[in-house]
Amino acid sequence: MTDQTVLAIEDLHAYFYTRSKQAFIRSVDGVSLSITKGCTLGVVGESGSGKSVTALSIMGLIQGMPGIIGGTMRFLTANGPVNLLQGLDQHVKIKRDSGRILTVAKDMTKWEKRIQGRMRGLRGSQMAMIFQDPRSAMNPFSSIGDQIRETILHNTAVRRRKQAREKAMDWLARVHIDAPRVRYHNNPHGLSGGMCQRAMIAMALAAEPTLLIADEPTTGLDATIQSRIVDLMAEIKTELGVTTLLISHDIDVIRQLSDQVAVMYGGTVLERGPANTVLTPGIEPKHPYTAALLSSIPDRRLIEKKGFLNAIEGDVLDTINTPKGCRFYPRCGQVNEKIATACLNTEPPLSSIAPGHDVRCWLFEP
Amino acid sequence: MSIKMKVFRQHTLRVSDYSQVPIWRKAHPVDLACVCYGLAVVMMVIVSYASGMNGWFPFDPQAIQMDLLNALPNTEGHLLGTDFMGRDIFSRLILGIQAYFLPGLLAVGIALALGSICGLVSGYRGGRWDAAVTYAANLVDSFPRLVLILLMIAAFKPDIYIIMAVVGLTHAPTVTSMIKSKVIFLKQQNFIEAAVSLGLKNRIIIAKHILWYNCRALLIIQATLGMAEAILIETSLSYLGFGVQEPMPSWGNMVQSGANYFLQGHFWPSTAPALAILFTILGFHLLGDGLNNILERKQGR
Repeated sequence: MTDQTVLAIEDLHAYFYTRSKQAFIRSVDGVSLSITKGCTLGVVGESGSGKSVTALSIMGLIQGMPGIIGGTMRFLTANGPVNLLQGLDQHVKIKRDSGRILTVAKDMTKWEKRIQGRMRGLRGSQMAMIFQDPRSAMNPFSSIGDQIRETILHNTAVRRRKQAREKAMDWLARVHIDAPRVRYHNNPHGLSGGMCQRAMIAMALAAEPTLLIADEPTTGLDATIQSRIVDLMAEIKTELGVTTLLISHDIDVIRQLSDQVAVMYGGTVLERGPANTVLTPGIEPKHPYTAALLSSIPDRRLIEKKGFLNAIEGDVLDTINTPKGCRFYPRCGQVNEKIATACLNTEPPLSSIAPGHDVRCWLFEP
Repeated sequence: MSIKMKVFRQHTLRVSDYSQVPIWRKAHPVDLACVCYGLAVVMMVIVSYASGMNGWFPFDPQAIQMDLLNALPNTEGHLLGTDFMGRDIFSRLILGIQAYFLPGLLAVGIALALGSICGLVSGYRGGRWDAAVTYAANLVDSFPRLVLILLMIAAFKPDIYIIMAVVGLTHAPTVTSMIKSKVIFLKQQNFIEAAVSLGLKNRIIIAKHILWYNCRALLIIQATLGMAEAILIETSLSYLGFGVQEPMPSWGNMVQSGANYFLQGHFWPSTAPALAILFTILGFHLLGDGLNNILERKQGR
């Protein structure tokens, strides 16, 4: 970890217990990521691959039981790096049987008290989050301007209401909302979806956080609005240089906005590296899952030629009964006889194939 | 051939946003009428209370006129007639408001304060807090209200403030359950999670985003309905002789004392306070209902 790394997650585990099936859902199972200052890290993956749970763990907003049970998260605060999960092992007792986790005992109340206390000073002022559905993420009874002003008053040095109000209007103008002086007084329901998302972005940025987490910011918007929001995010990136963790299942959005990319599947990172090499079809080598994801992007010429859309065979990984070997093995199309036993029995390590490019696959192991 | 052209009036839309339209413009006229009537009643009650406090009456409410018993309205300047001792009914009605106005406010205040605190705690905290509050609410709910009031009268003294404190206490479980269900609903909404992620403190989220923005309509409605209930309890107790005692007037004991002369043909002395009770309680209920329709409808978009 250099001092340019804003966030470094190592081996994060977040499990949830289902009472109906009496088993753990391994939502996040050994995620390792790191974001450099000023860069945008895109996280792609199918639904249920643990992207959102990772984001919520960073914010300390996980609700379920037992939640985070292992790992480290180093976050670069204004006063130097802090391990957000420090002391977690004092509250969690894990019983293993040959590597597999059998039971987890976690002191929820004590841990919650500890993590909430630690996060209180960080949320809003140091890290902020853009939610999926902007309309439901804002109080329907209060005007958007008041909500932005509130975050400014609570998280920055601005103490005077009038000053905060001016600043809120500035932010509304900065995210290209027309007539910010009028829109300041609008409730979220009086705005269109795109404008709401812009207001939400303004709200998250208003306290000038170091890290911005955007959890699928373009989902639920139509195509033209989507591209405008993407333009806005790109503009924010160049103007403000905010470090961003961008989560999306839209590969095009990720490709346009991010510098680094992590491909997630079944709660773990299968590939991470620079966005332009990982997400460009044709550039080899890459993980079979990434290749399959890229080939399933709708392409007009291909559809006309073949008459159907490419899709990855099989279902998304059952996160309750994770296989012993590679997670993608049941759906992988590139297995050969040489590595098949290894794929079935042992999970491949995340190993480097080029500087800054790591892949978790037996194909690339010597 | 001449061409006939019809020029439509050009409508200029001043306000582009529905949420900027004032709330009374969006309301249904019937609701508006209800609220206006209710507000008129509330204003009259407040004005009468104030004038009673300052001793401004058309006649002295305690002055006995033996030559003018059970008079009909509008005799010798008595606007609503006189009662069985020749006292001016109108002045006594005004003085009777003293019997329920402040005690009613006390009942409403206790019900709302207790109810919203308990509701917020049990809804937001959940778990053991919720269990404790629910047990307490069920305990209070399981007592018949009138029996509890009679018990308090027997244990202490027939003081209207004690009675109204009991009324407020027994009304609190209703408010608690309403606030609690609302808080549980709101807690799952994304905007509360978003507020947490933006670094707002818990007490600000509870006080501002939950209680003020989302429960204020409910509290206003519960206040009006609670006031109506308090008036009804006070008058019925006074009618039974447990509340305000003669010669101090209260609307309940005025009905009761007038009822003794009802079958002798003097229907008016008991009908006048009864009508006053009817229209006042109707006013509070219509105010609550109208406000409910207007304010809660706004919550939809």
